[in-house]
Amino acid sequence: MTQNTTQTSADQGQVAFQIRHRESIIGSYRTEIAIAIAIIVLALAVGSQVPQALSWGNFANITQAGAPLIIMSLGVLLVVITGGIDLSVGSVFSLTGMVTAQAMAHGFGGFEASLIGLSVGLVFGSINGFLVTIAGLAPFVVTLITFAVAGSLAFIVTNGRSMPIGDPDFWLLNSGSLVPGMPNYILFCIVLLVAIELFLKKMVAGRWFYAVGSSAQAAHLLGIPVKRTMFLAYVASSLLASFSGLLTISYILNAESTAGSSLMLQAIAAVVIGGASLLGGTGTAVGAVLGALMITVIQNGVNLIGINSFWQGSVTGVAILIAVLIDRFSKSRRGAG
Amino acid sequence: MAMARQIVVSVSGLTKAYGATSVLKGVDFSVDRGEVHALLGGNGAGKSTMIRIITGSAAKDAGEIVFHGPSGELRTEAEGRRKIAVVHQELALLPHLTVAENIALPYFANGAALFNGKRAARQAYKALAMIDREFAATSLQRLVGDLSLHEGQMVEIARALASGAELILLDEPTANLTAQETERLFSVLRRLTREGGLSVVFVSHRMKEIRQIANVCTIIRDGRTVVDRAATGSLTDADIIEKMGQAAAAHAAGRTAPTRRAVNGEALTIRESDFSLELKPGTILGVAGAPAGPSTLIATLVGAARSKRWTVSHASWPGSFSSPRQAARLGFGFITGDRSHKGILHSLPIIDNVLASRRVVRGSILTGAHERTECVDLMQALKVKAASIWNLPNTLSGGTQQKLLLARWLGLPSRLLVLEEPTRGVDIGTKREIYQLIRQMAASGTVIVWWSTENAELLEVCDRVMAFDTEGHCAGVIENEDLSEDRLAELTGMAA
Amino acid sequence: MRKGQYNAGFVEEEEMKSNLHKHVALATVALAMTLGANAAHAQEKKTVAYLAPSLDISYWQWVGYGVKQKAEKLGMDYVELTSENSPAKQMDNARTAVTKGVDAIVIGPVSSTSTPPLLAYLKSQNIPIAFAGIGPQPGQTDYTSSVTANNYETGKAQGSFVCKLAKERGGNQVGMLSLPQDRENAQKYLKGAEEAFKADGCDLAQMLETRGLTINEAVTQANDMLTAHPDIKAIYGMYDEAGTGAAKVLETRGLTGKVGIAVADGSPTTIGLLKANAIQGIFFQEAVGQGIDGTQQVYNALTGAAVKKDLALVMPLVTADKVDSPEAKAVIARVFPPAN
Repeated sequence: MTQNTTQTSADQGQVAFQIRHRESIIGSYRTEIAIAIAIIVLALAVGSQVPQALSWGNFANITQAGAPLIIMSLGVLLVVITGGIDLSVGSVFSLTGMVTAQAMAHGFGGFEASLIGLSVGLVFGSINGFLVTIAGLAPFVVTLITFAVAGSLAFIVTNGRSMPIGDPDFWLLNSGSLVPGMPNYILFCIVLLVAIELFLKKMVAGRWFYAVGSSAQAAHLLGIPVKRTMFLAYVASSLLASFSGLLTISYILNAESTAGSSLMLQAIAAVVIGGASLLGGTGTAVGAVLGALMITVIQNGVNLIGINSFWQGSVTGVAILIAVLIDRFSKSRRGAG
Repeated sequence: MAMARQIVVSVSGLTKAYGATSVLKGVDFSVDRGEVHALLGGNGAGKSTMIRIITGSAAKDAGEIVFHGPSGELRTEAEGRRKIAVVHQELALLPHLTVAENIALPYFANGAALFNGKRAARQAYKALAMIDREFAATSLQRLVGDLSLHEGQMVEIARALASGAELILLDEPTANLTAQETERLFSVLRRLTREGGLSVVFVSHRMKEIRQIANVCTIIRDGRTVVDRAATGSLTDADIIEKMGQAAAAHAAGRTAPTRRAVNGEALTIRESDFSLELKPGTILGVAGAPAGPSTLIATLVGAARSKRWTVSHASWPGSFSSPRQAARLGFGFITGDRSHKGILHSLPIIDNVLASRRVVRGSILTGAHERTECVDLMQALKVKAASIWNLPNTLSGGTQQKLLLARWLGLPSRLLVLEEPTRGVDIGTKREIYQLIRQMAASGTVIVWWSTENAELLEVCDRVMAFDTEGHCAGVIENEDLSEDRLAELTGMAA
Repeated sequence: MRKGQYNAGFVEEEEMKSNLHKHVALATVALAMTLGANAAHAQEKKTVAYLAPSLDISYWQWVGYGVKQKAEKLGMDYVELTSENSPAKQMDNARTAVTKGVDAIVIGPVSSTSTPPLLAYLKSQNIPIAFAGIGPQPGQTDYTSSVTANNYETGKAQGSFVCKLAKERGGNQVGMLSLPQDRENAQKYLKGAEEAFKADGCDLAQMLETRGLTINEAVTQANDMLTAHPDIKAIYGMYDEAGTGAAKVLETRGLTGKVGIAVADGSPTTIGLLKANAIQGIFFQEAVGQGIDGTQQVYNALTGAAVKKDLALVMPLVTADKVDSPEAKAVIARVFPPAN
């Protein structure tokens, strides 16, 4: 057929699929690009009302305010990709803060107290994972239970009082600079974003997350360790929620029992805006982060303009609706990121 | 040539019982290298159970399974099973992942390792190209959820090949394929077996296909091997039918004379381009053949699809139905054998399941005590035993659930009742009861259109049978003396 | 003959009569004992129930502390119930308290509008009730006492103070971090503050309402407020966490001292900030004091002593320079429990 008959059919095939491989990388971030554009449009709209909105200072404020949500959303993303849900993240967030503050009040140094706080995430993540995989209970129900239990424990730990942070150097966790010139909260967001995105795309175990969410039954038939994967997802989600709780108490140097209450729904919203389906099998870390940023930008915009903060909910709700509709009607079906 | 057989796996004297039911009663089965082996048997004969035992999904009660390597050496069960891949009728695919990933992912066993997309693509390409080079070149990065059933099947087979399987078990692979796709599949299988030494076991009912592709066939009946590795050329269709035990059942039941009804009323007409069929009230029309053809007809009759091909008309009906609800209210009913997906309302109790159609037809707004009595009466008429009408359907056996679906329409004056494999997965005793009920319904003036892949039962109860061939075209309508297993098998190309 | 049917009936009737006598006697004795017990019980300890709108806010815990302390001093038993911000639960709690045999109630209501049915019920049960922190719906009279802060006057005082802080720092723009404006106390605070701003020549550049009353939220709001209105020279914090949050923001921006902060309520955290001059004034709401005074009033009602119907306490201002004075210490003792 062609002149170059020296080229074997295998080679032809290789060339063909190599080209495809590269194309799909750009193409698969379509939704994320759309969200990024939407955020820019929103920011510009706010900026037209309040010029200071577009200042570096305000961007830093947005990132600082959004960092806990970003990190928590990454955790929720992992669970959602496997087809589950985690309602307990907000309570784990609060409880971690209270436990860490209480540990410091009992003489533990900042570092040890943080480890104790993170163990909250480990424990609740394991409980969630166990009940979902071994006991076979529905994720919604399981995490609803841990949401309630962890939430109430957050009050019991300090009898409902908010607690100041005892360790005078604890602010370094959030606001210090491990990398010169970059505040830690930004560093953590970037590191976690890159690590999780690479994990999901490049590690076999990451692909398993998508497989399990796509069809747990088929995945099981294929020999993919479904239970282990799901367990890992829930532990990761709780740990990330725990860590974001640590960041917050490091920032405001106070632990509050209700600190994380509003974050759970926001994290789920962020993940959905970012393009993940709550049925599982799709979603990217970039998307989740952008979703969290969008929610934070909306919050910031509402405050700057001076709209009653109660409107935030409505605006965010509309944002989710638009994001979901765009995703629904976009040309290609959304696949595993 | 007195060559020693190169056996891949051999099974002897396999028995298995589930509780009190004995499914396998000493089955023998063996597969050679490089052969295409057809596995035949009626519903409930034990094929699936035997396959599951061979692949390790179920444990045997007694018997021997032996696996051999390429040079005849013995293999352990674990090793042997690793070399077997099953492609089920419901494909085990991950819709959100790409073709390449679906093929290659199972073989990245170490979760902590990097997922090498390029290596996966290469592996996938190699396996898929053996099947369909063009498809392999264009589709590696497509999402499996976007593929057609046929393409999905190719992906599954590629995955089996990529695993290094030496034996692939295909469970009714051609059930939903067009003739063209079937031929493509067969040429792939031929090539793989002849050139690659792959062994293929092929479960199917379709005699034409079996002859096309299989070297040998084994027939299982009632948990025993009745034909062990016969060359397909050495058996006629009649032989096969007889061995499968279908003919016996058909003879035993006997045909009831078709002259039982002389009901008055308007006839129903079914039309397709130049073909037209008039059905008088009380006629039982059977529809036989591969799913492709009958399913379109059924869907049109039910009002679930608007087809340009088929039209169904009755004096009192509109040109075509706008919805199943409209069809129901105009005296039209539908009973499916796909209980789980299309029939039973799983979360509702028995009473709601039974009365579902009545409520639609009558336009009921309120439920009430009269319904309870009605339900109990119906269940008695059908000899359905249930502890309470408020129990959920899953407390009943499959056959009993099927009777519930029949209860929906029993006694409701209907013009047309469409049955879609209504005795699927039902035991022989219940089947007979169902046949009787169908005759009763016909006697009250309803036209029955009955699609079944079990030719035998159609022969037993129907007046006329419309046969569809494997391409999905209507091959003819046979009745009276013409109605026989052979004629049906001839027209449809299917043995059972 | 006694065992014969005829005789048996006759005998039974006789037995019955004497049994009846026995029963009546027993009953009389039992009744007497019960009445006696009740009479004795009347001399026993009274119980006061504290109904909090919710116990996740320190403020209401502190009120409870005050009730408990005073109850102990007066020799009363103490029971605590929370209404979880629900009027329905609040009614439930009242009924539960009555069933338990509680003698008096001190309540922080979920809202002023939720009080009419509650007061009607408690009146029918003859249970004295005192309000702490938030008062009953205007127009209601069936209660013993209402010990609240005078939100309007405090709003004016605090508004004036905040305006002064702004002017001392070279401007007249002020910002406000407010409680949810569906609460009556928030509305009164705002009214007083706005009048003060107007009278003293200050401009309320922006007011943001909190939803969760967390420091975290206050930080974000204060931050955004200052971004949008860099000319704000003083911030009015209507609730304690607002002060902590605003102070944090000033610290991050290096504006401590350059923007003034005055906060209402008071807590160990904000006292610490006051001492460090991160905030300039606290209008203390004597949570504990309200609990104490409310308990005293219902006790008076139970023992027949004189009752003061409305105690609207002005929230005293303590500034940084005065924080260690004995007067300030006395005020602080009535704000939150010691060792807090």
